[in-house]
Amino acid sequence: MAAAKLTVAVSGINAVDNPGPGAGVARSLKEAEGLDIEVLGLAYDAMEPGIYMDWIIDRSFIMPYPSGGGEALVERLLYIKQNFGLDVVIPNLDSELPVYIKYARDLEKAGIKSFLPTRKQFQLRGKDNLPDLAKAIEVDVPETRVVSSPDRLIPCLEELQLPVMVKGTFYKAKRAYTRQEAIAHFQELANEWGYPVIIQEVVTGEELNVVGVGDGEGGHLGLVGIKKSWITSQGKIWTGMTVRHDGMLKATQDLMTHTQWRGPFELECIIGSKGQIYLIEINPRFPAWSYFSTGVGHNLAANLVRKAMGDPVDIAADYEAGKLFVRYTYELVTDLTVFQKIVTRGES
Amino acid sequence: MSKLSSLALNDEGFAFDPSTGDSFVVNETGQFILKGLTAEVPAAEIINGLVETYDIGPEEAERDLGDFCERLRSYGVI
Repeated sequence: MAAAKLTVAVSGINAVDNPGPGAGVARSLKEAEGLDIEVLGLAYDAMEPGIYMDWIIDRSFIMPYPSGGGEALVERLLYIKQNFGLDVVIPNLDSELPVYIKYARDLEKAGIKSFLPTRKQFQLRGKDNLPDLAKAIEVDVPETRVVSSPDRLIPCLEELQLPVMVKGTFYKAKRAYTRQEAIAHFQELANEWGYPVIIQEVVTGEELNVVGVGDGEGGHLGLVGIKKSWITSQGKIWTGMTVRHDGMLKATQDLMTHTQWRGPFELECIIGSKGQIYLIEINPRFPAWSYFSTGVGHNLAANLVRKAMGDPVDIAADYEAGKLFVRYTYELVTDLTVFQKIVTRGES
Repeated sequence: MSKLSSLALNDEGFAFDPSTGDSFVVNETGQFILKGLTAEVPAAEIINGLVETYDIGPEEAERDLGDFCERLRSYGVI
């Protein structure tokens, strides 16, 4: 029996040097066994490469920025639903998530499903709440100070030894070796992302990550652990390999149990020289390298779609450690038609 | 499971630690020792094996085993 056709929209199709997660999610959906998925790309700029990657994205739409409050974004999704069909939406950018979480029920009522963390879960993993979460799942966290005003920065630097990590509340982390550097990074990140700014002790060790999807009931729809072995100057993975670090996978499972996590996530941690696990960050969405999990037998995006649709999910038992991920650059040449359409009509 | 017992070693001496993703390459003698350590062969037997296989004296074999174990320790394998 042929699989029913589903239409799934993915955002973050900016497959550039600092890639959004959308292209990997779209590719996973196209490769999903037993699913026939039309993939819609949700873009914020006519130059996002995903718009032109017609082998994984069937149609694309320019979206209003979520910073506008969300109503316009919801209206745009309803327009897409009405005119082209839309069963599931997978937002892949941090800045979109509060809006999609806020309007998830409204979208569901309109027939657009999603599978996202709750507002409470989203806040739990915020950088300022991470120490409490780490304590709850019995892992370490680097010494952290949440700084909400410039006058608190110097006392914090005196409490923590240099170098320190200076982190924006949503994005970006910069290492500061001197007090002057810390002040400069602090001002830059506060200007860009607002307060609080997080000041964190630098811990050394193996940087390992996990991608997965929580089932919302304390379990998961698949987990894959990796080590980033080569990263770009922007801190993005270029090559990596699958690993099976039992402590890290247990911490991930404990996180699922403790938070009843719902939806995709990326857990970043550092394994210290004595085996201690430091929780660095939890991203409440697929990472840009999520296709790696599909390549080793865990199609997490497909599992998410099945779960969102209320269909049974067949979770792969395990994955092999030592599989290699290599990103590469590629070019495509096309004519201006798609660009013209997306600029003039906002859709292609 | 100890790191040593989970270490993957192929015929060309490429060793891979599946828990951290670390990898390193060992020569023929290193493979001989690593296989022995992984199979929990007593040190005295590994030393005898080195003496018989590589035509070296027991002191040299013991020293090689010690040096090799020190290197594995620095990699966090043992």
